Amino acid sequence: MADADTDGLAARRPLSPHLTVFKPILTMMMSIAHRITGAGLYVGMALLALFLLGAAVGGGAFSAVSWIGSGFIGNLLVLMIVWAIFHHLLGGVRHALWDRGLYMDAKGRELLAQGTLVGGILLTLLVFIFKTLAG
Amino acid sequence: MTVATRFKSGRTGPGDAYVSDHSGSPHARFMRLTSYALVPLGVLSAWWILGLAGKSLEGVRAEIGRPFPALVLLAFGVVGMIHARQGMDDIIEDYVHDKVLKAQAIVANTWASRAIAAIWVLAILLIAAPK
Repeated sequence: MADADTDGLAARRPLSPHLTVFKPILTMMMSIAHRITGAGLYVGMALLALFLLGAAVGGGAFSAVSWIGSGFIGNLLVLMIVWAIFHHLLGGVRHALWDRGLYMDAKGRELLAQGTLVGGILLTLLVFIFKTLAG
Repeated sequence: MTVATRFKSGRTGPGDAYVSDHSGSPHARFMRLTSYALVPLGVLSAWWILGLAGKSLEGVRAEIGRPFPALVLLAFGVVGMIHARQGMDDIIEDYVHDKVLKAQAIVANTWASRAIAAIWVLAILLIAAPK
């Protein structure tokens, strides 16, 4: 754990990232989206854990948590969790490729950023369509 | 959470994280190792999680009650929350600059992630374990 020193000098230094002065570009947006989907999945897993516990206990406990998995809010929530899994997964694949020194040029990293964005939405749609057809 | 590192400092090979004898290297390496496991677990889990939407109690129990989905979702919950704990530690260390608050947030994260994983495992075992 890196501790930022808290004396006067450290407090006066500007902190990176300078979100307000950077021009928003896709690779930066996908970096932020990776962190947001990661944090979102933390909350999503907590909600799903409650949903599963409710299903395990049954009766009134399931009625109390069924909003997480059904109805407009539940369907939207589940769809967002599935999208977040795919987006974060593809973002991780992107990092794994970069770890190996691949796709690090301007063209490559732009391609990966686009692939993460489009791929996450596409995979979610694909699974949704297959699931609807199967159900 | 520590993973033994081969070098005191340096890169062990293409695709490996920069390794040193400080705590950051095991952290980075552990994030990578768990993320590899989470690729297949995540795809399969996303499929079954989407299957839960709109289901009745019996439907949810039937979906989770099958052995293969139960085992995969179990592993996804445990490995996922280990990965999530470390990821949340990164976020806390990046944005919480007050020393005391940071320490408290990290302890809260440790126990919250463990609680989520424990509830997840307990719930799936209650549904899927042979009676």
